[in-house]
Amino acid sequence: MSEHKPNYTQADMMTVVMARLLRDRERVFHGVASPIPMVAVQLAKRRQAPNLVYLSITGAVDGLPEAFPRETTTDGRLLRNTASLFSLTEIFDLSARGQLDTAFLGGVQIDQYGNLNLSVIGDFHKPKVRLPGGAGSAALLPTTKRAILWRTKHDPKVFVEKLSFRTAVGNVDKVITPLGIFSKEDGRLKLWRVFPYSSVEEITSLTGFPIEKSPDFAVAKAPTPEELAILQEIDPNNVRAVEF
Amino acid sequence: MSKLLSLAAAVGLIKDGDTVALGGNTIQRSPAAFAREMARRKKRNIELVKTAGAYDVDLLALAGCLSAVHAGYIGFENMGLAPNYRKAVEGGQTQAKEHACYTVIAGLRAAAYGIPFMPVAGFLGSELLEVRDFKLVKDPFTGQEVVAVQKLQPDWAVIHVHEADVEGNGRILGSQFEDALMTRAAKGVILTAERIVDKSQFQKHPESVAIPGFLVNAVVELPGGAAPGSCYPLYDANIEAIRSYLAMAPEALDDYLKEVR
Repeated sequence: MSEHKPNYTQADMMTVVMARLLRDRERVFHGVASPIPMVAVQLAKRRQAPNLVYLSITGAVDGLPEAFPRETTTDGRLLRNTASLFSLTEIFDLSARGQLDTAFLGGVQIDQYGNLNLSVIGDFHKPKVRLPGGAGSAALLPTTKRAILWRTKHDPKVFVEKLSFRTAVGNVDKVITPLGIFSKEDGRLKLWRVFPYSSVEEITSLTGFPIEKSPDFAVAKAPTPEELAILQEIDPNNVRAVEF
Repeated sequence: MSKLLSLAAAVGLIKDGDTVALGGNTIQRSPAAFAREMARRKKRNIELVKTAGAYDVDLLALAGCLSAVHAGYIGFENMGLAPNYRKAVEGGQTQAKEHACYTVIAGLRAAAYGIPFMPVAGFLGSELLEVRDFKLVKDPFTGQEVVAVQKLQPDWAVIHVHEADVEGNGRILGSQFEDALMTRAAKGVILTAERIVDKSQFQKHPESVAIPGFLVNAVVELPGGAAPGSCYPLYDANIEAIRSYLAMAPEALDDYLKEVR
């Protein structure tokens, strides 16, 4: 960790780098329990991606929430400003026919191939822990053009050598953690960015699989004053931090 | 013909062992009051169908009503796991028939379309293929492999709507979720409604009425029927009430069901 305390949180950092990955005019979806993607989409729309098409389980097309709901990301507040509806069924269909650009998905466990587990710890039929289930991931991960995964914990229990159960496999592009970003290259997660307050050593010690650096490895740029100002404006209640 | 029933009479239509699809999504516009009445009536061996569920599924699991749950996600999103559903599955009382939300939709579509199964995109590589009854089949035209989902035909779809008339026409405002599909897939449909309106209201805008009355068996007038979840835009989720439910000891369920109508 660096010596002086940064003027931004890990949640700010994750939200900012997630937003930077989004492109103008692309079609982007997030599902249940996705507070950081929900905020990152609005940040991206305020900066480089004003024409990004934002889809969610509510059916909203380009919803512009006045205030982000704290406990859920399927709330009717996401419908504000929407001029048409496009249901979850239609979003899956869109992805199935190859027209969904980016899906945000999470994983309770993620392995070095970017496969994820959201189903169980232990045996599937007699689980030690029954997890919520993969939601859309088993269908979306193979069909979306790219998936961006995120997880607000970075430790060897999350980033594992072997998954308890493989819920979903597919087109993972990036995996954002509180400490850095993995990029899936040649079928494996490579360390692509390290955040300014972390280090390759820290990430290596907290990851259950061997760390290999991407050829494009770099230290991520800290959130700019402009990015932080927009975050403060659109998310004054710090909903982006609820998963921490 | 009026299909108005009391809540108790409508719940009485559901038999032990039935498969029941619940509308809404997580804590949004779920038939929560209907689920509580199912718990009070001690329904047994119910198989639930839901894309993403929270309070309704968790409460029915706690009440011992569920033999199985077909769903993509059961949890309280940013508030955490579904504690009683978890316990029921981990204890072996309830089987988690995990789906991707899209395979729930595919199974319902097969039922709605009157066909035995539905091919579905994606899913390859998931171990759900091995532990659940999804099948890899050959496309008869190209020979390519595709995942097939068996039809999922609920005995009942229970949908909470904003407005219904006594004949069972139902209007949902805002997010529609997969509710209309459930009404086409199920053998019978029960609506709970925030308010009963005159049919003439719907005749002005039939395009806004997602559920035609001829599919519906029973209508229950039930203002607040989605609480403690939301019924946008009428009311938000009551987060305090949901958190207090989540903190409740399992033994307190009977009192809870007496207190919360």
